[in-house]
Amino acid sequence: WILAWMGLEINTMAIIPLMAQQHHPRATEATTKYFLTQATAAAMILFASTMNAWTMGDWNINQISHPLATTTVTLALALKIGLAPMHFWLPEVLQGLNLTTGLVLSTWQKLAPFALILQISQNTNPALLTTLGVTSALVGGWGGLNQTQLRKLLAYSSIAHLGWMIIILQFMPALTLLNLTIYITMTSTMFLSLKIMASTKINSLALAWPKTPTLTTLIMLSLLSLGGLPPLTGFMPKWLILQELAKQDLPITATIMAMSALLSLFFYLR
Amino acid sequence: MALTSARLLTRTVHEKWICAHSLTLRPLVCINKAAFYGEYRRPGQAQDRTPPWKKIRFSFAKGVQGIRKHFGLLKDEAMERWVGPQGRPLIEHMLEQTRVQWEFRGPESLEQWLVSTDREIGGRSEAYLKLGRNDSACMLYGTLCSTPPRDGETCYSGYCTLRSRQLLSSFDRKKNIDWSSFNTLYIRLRGDGRPWMINIAAETYFSHQKDDLYNYFLYTRGGPYWQDVKIPFSKFFLSSRGRIQDNQHPLWLDKVSTIGFTLGDKADGPFQLEIDFIAVCNDRAHTEEFAYEMYKRNPEV
Repeated sequence: WILAWMGLEINTMAIIPLMAQQHHPRATEATTKYFLTQATAAAMILFASTMNAWTMGDWNINQISHPLATTTVTLALALKIGLAPMHFWLPEVLQGLNLTTGLVLSTWQKLAPFALILQISQNTNPALLTTLGVTSALVGGWGGLNQTQLRKLLAYSSIAHLGWMIIILQFMPALTLLNLTIYITMTSTMFLSLKIMASTKINSLALAWPKTPTLTTLIMLSLLSLGGLPPLTGFMPKWLILQELAKQDLPITATIMAMSALLSLFFYLR
Repeated sequence: MALTSARLLTRTVHEKWICAHSLTLRPLVCINKAAFYGEYRRPGQAQDRTPPWKKIRFSFAKGVQGIRKHFGLLKDEAMERWVGPQGRPLIEHMLEQTRVQWEFRGPESLEQWLVSTDREIGGRSEAYLKLGRNDSACMLYGTLCSTPPRDGETCYSGYCTLRSRQLLSSFDRKKNIDWSSFNTLYIRLRGDGRPWMINIAAETYFSHQKDDLYNYFLYTRGGPYWQDVKIPFSKFFLSSRGRIQDNQHPLWLDKVSTIGFTLGDKADGPFQLEIDFIAVCNDRAHTEEFAYEMYKRNPEV
């Protein structure tokens, strides 16, 4: 756990200068907020792992078994990646960054916390994971409804997707990994396309059709894929997750997740 | 007699002890809020030493009214979300090229504005705000006096300002204006030939940014004809506490808080400014991002 914590801290410190390189107060604000949230989460991880080592005598990541330690480290990792209800920093931070740094924040910065989440998946509280997942999916759909700033829209999309990843973690971690991989691919496509078009608002996307029709079509398909519309790739993880939830006799959870996906699809389609 | 002398002696010793320790005990016993928080005292007025608990005016009816108002606003916000951004359909947001943000068409429009002058720092300028003829414009008028009074305290004088109030949503949360679809400020006004300064305040995060304003000049023509002023947002420069900053950056339009007009041209005498409306528009021909040089200080050689 100590080495994992060190790795997370180095990861945070490394991206801080990249975020602040824009020399604008909003970029500095985003960097400060990011640093505070990540440092808090890292401190919670260290505290939980130390508590587990004190009570259980074990420093191994996948041997964390003390209930309080497990809950604390789960909440800390949720804060790291921006799961609801610890998601409030993510839209504001992404809005203050340029598209390239936003891409790194949405994709690469999720890998390390997810590596830890996957390792502790067997010991985490199922009710907590379900709560985090359902809340994230609902908040991601509701929050993205009237966004006109594309970076904030992608932030809420990220929160919703993280909810889908977390809800299936306790039943089939392989699906979480699959969902994460597909999410990273789709989000990278979106961010890179928006970077080429240099657009950060919905209005500029609306005017892009005569200028770059191919890229506009690609963006449209990526958005629909993010929304989980068949037969695009983004439909596959959602379908598999719903299938698994149904197999685990959780029809209500599956229904709520499907409804929240409809909310997200609504603002993607617009 | 001996007992009285002993009591006197004890009292004297006790008083001397209190007096000797009062200088050290005073900050602990009665905390001076002004010393900690740097409260401003208007020149000519005594410092307000009333403790906060004595300033409370509790009213149950007002509390209930406030709760009803705020929950009503919260419900409206939730319902607006289903319509679109800021309660309007998305297609309206996508297609709009102009937006009138403030217009003066009735007494309630004046409630959204604050007038202040150098009276707050001890000066003698006056400014008033009223509706113009036919309730179709607002008139800011008054007298500017740039000579500070000789009271031994006031150092500066000679400004007056009209500033919009911060918009508030439910439970008095700050609400910012999103002008990111636009790039030009459009004002219809009629002045008296004086130079004014337009100040735009955006949402800030750090405490050292609380006095940050984005300014640009407004030269009024005077005369009987209305003046249409179009100022691109790329022309606004950053200042803090009235001083232009070396490290300039463009104004980000997604979180604008307030707009204000300031007169401080050091010309004593009456002034008048009528404003019909303040709008924003999208000038497609204007492609400049920022009008000023952004240079790196201490460049590596």
